Amino acid sequence: MLTLTKDRALALAMLVLVGILLVETGNIRPPTSWQPYGSALFPRILLGVIAVLATLILIRSLLAGAPRRTTPRRTFGEWLALNRTVLALFALFGLYALLLPLIGYLAATLGFLVASLALLLGIDSWRKWAINLAVSFTLAPLVYAIFRFGLKVWLP
Amino acid sequence: MADFFLQALAQVSSPAVLLLIVVGVLFGIVGGSIPGFTVTMAILVVFPFTFAMDPVSGVSLMVGVFVGGYSGGIVSGVMLGIPGTPSSITTVYDGYPMAQQGQPGRALGIGVAASFLGTLISVAVLVFFGPLIASFSMNFRPWEITALIVFALTLVAGLSNGALLKGLLAAALGLLITTVGYDRNSNLRFDFGLPALGSGFEILPVMIGIFAFSQLMGNIEKLRDEKHSSKRIDTNVSIPYASILRDMAGQKLNTVRSSLIGSLVGALPGTGGTVANFISYDQAKKFSRHPERFGTGTPDGIVASEASNSAVAGGAFVPTLALGIPGDLPMAIMMGVLILHGITPGPLMFEQNPVLVGAIYASLLIGAVIMVLCQLMLVRWFAKISLIPQQILVPVVLMLCAIGSYALNNNLFDIWVLFAFGILGYLLWKAEVPLTPLILGVVLGNNLERQLFRALELDSSWLTFLTRPLSALFLALAVASVIFSLYQNRKIQRHQRQAEDLAKPSKEPPHAA
Repeated sequence: MLTLTKDRALALAMLVLVGILLVETGNIRPPTSWQPYGSALFPRILLGVIAVLATLILIRSLLAGAPRRTTPRRTFGEWLALNRTVLALFALFGLYALLLPLIGYLAATLGFLVASLALLLGIDSWRKWAINLAVSFTLAPLVYAIFRFGLKVWLP
Repeated sequence: MADFFLQALAQVSSPAVLLLIVVGVLFGIVGGSIPGFTVTMAILVVFPFTFAMDPVSGVSLMVGVFVGGYSGGIVSGVMLGIPGTPSSITTVYDGYPMAQQGQPGRALGIGVAASFLGTLISVAVLVFFGPLIASFSMNFRPWEITALIVFALTLVAGLSNGALLKGLLAAALGLLITTVGYDRNSNLRFDFGLPALGSGFEILPVMIGIFAFSQLMGNIEKLRDEKHSSKRIDTNVSIPYASILRDMAGQKLNTVRSSLIGSLVGALPGTGGTVANFISYDQAKKFSRHPERFGTGTPDGIVASEASNSAVAGGAFVPTLALGIPGDLPMAIMMGVLILHGITPGPLMFEQNPVLVGAIYASLLIGAVIMVLCQLMLVRWFAKISLIPQQILVPVVLMLCAIGSYALNNNLFDIWVLFAFGILGYLLWKAEVPLTPLILGVVLGNNLERQLFRALELDSSWLTFLTRPLSALFLALAVASVIFSLYQNRKIQRHQRQAEDLAKPSKEPPHAA
């Protein structure tokens, strides 16, 4: 059975993307009589180039064979545990983007900073909490003041 | 020339703009001195603050960050033995040993002086070559510009960590991102029925998402994988001015040579400070009467390293201003600032916006002076700041990225664009796809399509690209850069195989022999 290496996953993902976008180029308005080339040409050229490059990456990866493992294969649970900080940070950022228009800049930013600093710094000592709250409650209003009063940019 | 420069100098010398340059330089030094933060990240964080400014103020602030950032790497390089930026790796080779020998002030002073002189020499190169190249490229027609952009992209892709195929893929992907939304004929492309995609993606959230997320999440992963010992350093540094003047007096040739290398390498797309750093360090060692002293704390090494990486600042402006082609990531962002203010970098900029060009020259010069003063006066503080942990930096920078993206158009959709491209950038980084060609593709995509179709509207034959001498030359150079990159990759692989073969017997159990 073939192993899904990074290169193979990348090449396959690119080929799927090319397939979807190539179908989508059919929805682009065709050229008029006075246009030598239509609006779909440039994206199609790029999709062709990406398809060729992805195929070459795939072929090269298949010819090279799967790299010898230096570490034992991880289960999905182990992988999740290993990458939990990065995944949680992405999730927190998504939540921040979601809450920003609902509860406003100050509340959302304070929430995001406190939660992400707690995630990265830890919450196992008063000192860490003090740093967390000092950074969050200083920076959030400061950035607001700079944008709102200094640069005259409205924040939600 | 003198006329527009004096006008620009008057604008840049106003207290408000001077203050912005000071703030930019300070932030740049701080960004450069924090290991893993980099000049590019400092520029990305400051970028949103320029939205509400006039072009001269915005560009001056960014130039300040640029100048400060390239010199900031020396602080952590000397004090911690960790390069603050990739472009200050070789600074560590001699800066750290000198500090270990009880002379951190001397190492920092030599580095700062070399940075200052490197910046000055690179500004001279920019002032001399910028207008020359711009006036030459005024003759470029759409065929030449198209071919030049293709050449720049292949060159950058070819120089991407030996991953030519992935580099080219990244460049094509970057160009593809720019095809979303209405095109020049008001035809809608790849909107998938979402009205928000009609106007395409803003460059800024795309750039920040791709670069910042991959780097910040990468820093988090490094924290997980490495056992970090929190370094304690003595920040009680004093600068021995007389000794530094004596040191620098003996480094004239080294300073000029390294600065010229930095300026020229900076002017080549896809190279930047790191490459300049290694080349000039290598050349300084080759020309030295005492090559054996390199790596033990010699001033020659620090001068070569710092003069060259700071000279990249001026050199990198040459293709950006003269041709409208950014050479590296910081320059791509700088180009974004100019585009944001309705200015198209390129040969016409010297005619249409001479005062802004002069403001860039003036900001570089003033920034260099401010950089020296700040570094010498506040070196203890920068040494302390360089110890700020990534655990605090990452959330703060992510928040600034989000607010910066929103502030561009007061549009929440841009934060989602930032998030989506953040995920894409992180996944591509995990797949070891170089991100610089991707970002350059995003920056150059619209211009490439516009020039390509202008050429085809003037002459529908594709062969014209090969029959026009300059266009054919650029395309030939593009092919040559791909072939050269393939050759380099083969050579690296052969060396790796040879190294593995040599290492094999030692791995065998003793009885196998």
